[in-house]
Amino acid sequence: MMTIAVPNTATRPKLWQRLSFANKTDLVTRILIIAITVALLFYILLPVYWMLKSSFQPNQEIRVLPPIWFPSEATAQPYTNANRLIPMWRYVLNSLFVSVTAAAISTVIACSASYVLARFRFPGATIILGLILLTNLIPAITRVFPIYFFIQDLGLLNSYAGLILAYVGFSLPFAVLMLRGYFISAAPPELEEAALIDGCSHFEAFWRVILPVCLPGIAAVAIFTFLNAWNDFLWASLLLNQGEMKTIQVGIGDFAQEGGGVQYVNAFMAACVVATIPALVVFVFVQRWLVGGLTAGSVKT
Amino acid sequence: MASIEIRQARKAYGTFEVLHGVSIDIPDGEFVILVGPSGCGKSTLLRMIAGLETISSGEIAIGNLVVNDLPPKKRDIAMVFQSYALYPHMTVAENMGFSLKLARRSKAEIDQKVGEAADILGLRPLLARKPAQLSGGQRQRVAMGRAIVRDPAVFLFDEPLSNLDAQLRVQMRSEIKALHQRLKTTTVYVTHDQVEAMTMADRIVVMNDGKVEQVGAPLELFDRPANLFVARFIGSPSMNMLDGRIESINGVTTFVSGGFSLPLADSSTGAGEEVVLGFRPEHLSLATPDSTAQLKAEVVVMEPTGTETLLNVTADGHSFLALFRERLEVRSGDEIMLSIDPSNVHLFSKLTGKRL
Repeated sequence: MMTIAVPNTATRPKLWQRLSFANKTDLVTRILIIAITVALLFYILLPVYWMLKSSFQPNQEIRVLPPIWFPSEATAQPYTNANRLIPMWRYVLNSLFVSVTAAAISTVIACSASYVLARFRFPGATIILGLILLTNLIPAITRVFPIYFFIQDLGLLNSYAGLILAYVGFSLPFAVLMLRGYFISAAPPELEEAALIDGCSHFEAFWRVILPVCLPGIAAVAIFTFLNAWNDFLWASLLLNQGEMKTIQVGIGDFAQEGGGVQYVNAFMAACVVATIPALVVFVFVQRWLVGGLTAGSVKT
Repeated sequence: MASIEIRQARKAYGTFEVLHGVSIDIPDGEFVILVGPSGCGKSTLLRMIAGLETISSGEIAIGNLVVNDLPPKKRDIAMVFQSYALYPHMTVAENMGFSLKLARRSKAEIDQKVGEAADILGLRPLLARKPAQLSGGQRQRVAMGRAIVRDPAVFLFDEPLSNLDAQLRVQMRSEIKALHQRLKTTTVYVTHDQVEAMTMADRIVVMNDGKVEQVGAPLELFDRPANLFVARFIGSPSMNMLDGRIESINGVTTFVSGGFSLPLADSSTGAGEEVVLGFRPEHLSLATPDSTAQLKAEVVVMEPTGTETLLNVTADGHSFLALFRERLEVRSGDEIMLSIDPSNVHLFSKLTGKRL
């Protein structure tokens, strides 16, 4: 029998191996991991719980010290109150309209752009990719004034179109980069070539073969763009801050300043819950796709 | 069904030319294999026939129709890709029927044609599955089924077997050949595996460096390779080569290399010419005392396969392969005497590499 001598240092597990989940039999490690996870969850979920329970409590109960963690008598009154104080559902609809439109437009543009960047070699392709990447490296806050004045010059301040335009612009770089990677990994050129030979035109091949195959990635991009737009406060407050056209985030922000944060804390919390729900619903339903889409290409299936 | 004529086809990427004027005539119904090492341009040529690559200059005609400017879908071809390129979001039946669906055939007709192809390939039980649920060999069959369903004028295969394991490859090889004998559709098949080429083709086109080296029936290439490249490429294990010179010894045209000399059966080569002698491993035999040309060789490695014995030997500083039908009792380090059958040698000009 031939044996191969192995130096002792190589047989000893590395530090990261000893600390990793691989060693699941180690009870202390497992308890530690679970404890840390629970602590993290508590830290993340506590504010969310506070918001949720406050939205069902009478105002006086919220301010009591020590805090009352479980509403003594839950009431939906704060929700009707919120809707009376601000046009809450109108704001939600505004947000939905702006976010869905922005997501749809940027997904369509990103699909076409990233497919071209993934499949074709042409002069300047590298420069275009570099520029797209560069936009992600510029701090968002430095863009505030140029974009504000740009939208103003276009005459689109305080219009849905202006805000949608801004959202589309912000989400495109990331969407294009991500989708390009997805197209490269999920749709090899032979797939399109097979479709061409089967009788497709270039567009048909894209439409009937490439798009369906890449649907998880496309959905991930669409949802990501939607969530970004839905959760945005900064741009919405700058570009669209008048009357009933406000998005729900800005509406709530203004409500907080107009007394919601002091007099009507429960109604304010109720409005916050309403603002959270659509994003939450979307995320719960599509999180498998979202995670799958974001990590696609890292593992060959 | 259709013939294919390729006339002076060239392909260049910018100033870099990868195909230097290739001309091949493929009659209707023939099974032609393009074979050559990686980068020789065989796949590029196939893709030019398919319409997936443009033709820089020259002409390609399918069924007497010049197709240079026609998109793939108007060329009446079907292609099987190395990676199969099945549509992952469609079932096997949908994959196979996709081309007919695009051609707006009726549902009944599509079902019937897909069914027929599935029967030929034994895919009936798999029609409802998605490609991800199939094994490599099954995917390969679906890719072929997709091609058959269209009943095209020409089949194109781009290294269709290279992703399969050795056993399956041999099986699919005969299935593809049987399929061709049944359908008799003109077929162009690309491979880098000369065994595949030898066993399947009606005619082989050996390509190297963007040029056609030789076109011919498999055994024709094996028995009369036109040049050194074809001689080395065709045949497994490949041909032994020995550099030397032609001399006239006692009036007999003789090949001489170092201390080894071999009187040649054919005396047409002039004395003094620098040549390369080629002989196949199976044309070496153990020398008997009255053998004329003997070669003293040392065994380096012995590889018994059961049916054959392959010896890797060195003689005079050159290494050779020798293949025997019988089993030999030799070990590495043994010295043996080998003789070459003079009627089975090939002479090539050292200068041009061409057959003499």
